[in-house]
Amino acid sequence: MTRPEIIAQIKTVISDCFPDMDVSALEEDSVINTDTAIDSMGFVLVICKLEAMFDVRIPERQWQKLSTLGDVADAIQKRLPKA
Amino acid sequence: MRFEDFEAMLSYWAEAAPEAPALRYNDTVCQYAELLDAVRQRAAEYRAGGKTCLGILSDGSLDCVIALFAANFAGMQVVMLDESLPEPLLRELIRYTDIDALWGDPELTEELSPALTAGVSGGAGNILFFTSGTTERAKAVVLTGHSLCQSAWNGSQMLPLTPADTLLCMLPMAHVFGFVCGLLWGLSCGACVALGRGARYYMRDCKYYLPTALSAVPVLLDFLLRTDALNPELATILVGAGDCPSHILSAAAARGIRVCFGYGLTETSSGVAISTGGDPFAMAVCPDDTITLAEDGEILIDAPTCMMRGYYKRPDATAAVLQDGILHTGDLGRFDSDGRLHITGRKKDILVLPDGTKIFLPEYEAGLIQALGHTELAVTTRDGRPVLVWSGEGDAKDIAQRLRPVMAGLPRGQQLAEILLTPDPLPRTATGKIKRWELQQKAGNL
Repeated sequence: MTRPEIIAQIKTVISDCFPDMDVSALEEDSVINTDTAIDSMGFVLVICKLEAMFDVRIPERQWQKLSTLGDVADAIQKRLPKA
Repeated sequence: MRFEDFEAMLSYWAEAAPEAPALRYNDTVCQYAELLDAVRQRAAEYRAGGKTCLGILSDGSLDCVIALFAANFAGMQVVMLDESLPEPLLRELIRYTDIDALWGDPELTEELSPALTAGVSGGAGNILFFTSGTTERAKAVVLTGHSLCQSAWNGSQMLPLTPADTLLCMLPMAHVFGFVCGLLWGLSCGACVALGRGARYYMRDCKYYLPTALSAVPVLLDFLLRTDALNPELATILVGAGDCPSHILSAAAARGIRVCFGYGLTETSSGVAISTGGDPFAMAVCPDDTITLAEDGEILIDAPTCMMRGYYKRPDATAAVLQDGILHTGDLGRFDSDGRLHITGRKKDILVLPDGTKIFLPEYEAGLIQALGHTELAVTTRDGRPVLVWSGEGDAKDIAQRLRPVMAGLPRGQQLAEILLTPDPLPRTATGKIKRWELQQKAGNL
């Protein structure tokens, strides 16, 4: 899966979790807390759905460090099985 | 049952109900007799190892619980650490609290091991929890197995559980509310404590473990309600460790769940007052505790069985809040005509300006939030003047314009001097309180 595809999937999940949110303007460097106003529990919801979608497991200790959309994509990408 | 310490508690139930489930973690069940055996065996290993202070990088697992009880049995000082903290801060805390051994994720403990110290003498029985650090840098609060067991007894006198109950522990054990109300409350009553499997399972744990009782912080309860994650068997929810909007409590009560609200501090080994009647914010004082109000409404607590020994290596800070055995909480309250305690605010959330003007922040900020329709804001001072820190996108001129009617109704000294914008989230504690000290530092750099 390519990086743009991962980013697109992340935006889809955010949109599913928060239907009122406009995700079209989100970029790799968008900060999740402020640019999306997703709170800590909303973030848990998004990560859980992403883990299920990509069949990966991101250690909970790492969650605090995921600041931008790009950080989330990195965490997913490095855990995807190599093609 | 009232127990002197952890060993007395576990020994009693291992004798009285050896095969009753004490802990569940995933599909593993640990009976009371098995738990006592496992703790004693690990304690023997710790004694043989000769270490004096164990830092627990708490992950809430079964082995985590065994390790912390075992270290206490073995006469070690125990320090409860939040494993999600940044590594530099963890290293600082390890050095501050004299930790010479770590329990936790092997990769993390390896990474932190260079910070280990030579240990401590005279720390036997100490269990250290860090305060939330709402107003200043976090301090380690020295509690003991005894004080924590008395706190659990106090709570169980207000909200008794039975051996037929299952208490779900979803809160971090590195926080005293999670430790006492998520773990000890159940164990002291001989109930089964189901250990939550972490944030990843927030939506599934209730329907997996089918608890009858749950302790939660407001944001977690809100999340569980919004995601329809609560199970029908759940009869009691104890909410604490932060202000809780009434609509959250009402939503839980509407499901037929008894919702209680607790008030306490790390310094008092958790709760000192719990609501048990219809109004969740009208709290009865726990049996071992005496609460009085100072002239300005500050809540003063006399909790001889549950009070901290002091702040670790901070006699100055201890003396500032603990005077003649009475804890000056910094919280404001009132008693209603039935003698129930209501929390009305936080004295430390008062800004005192150079001209003597005082701003009571919760009330002040609530007015701004209402006027602006934006919750991620807070007020602090910069150069002695009140300033608004606005987290997220915004336009300072537009915000100032919208605040004009509010400011017009305030004394000049209380009017905001500046709007500071930041893309970063506001510094908050794990329970959502604004870290006032950190906010002030941040405002100075904006």
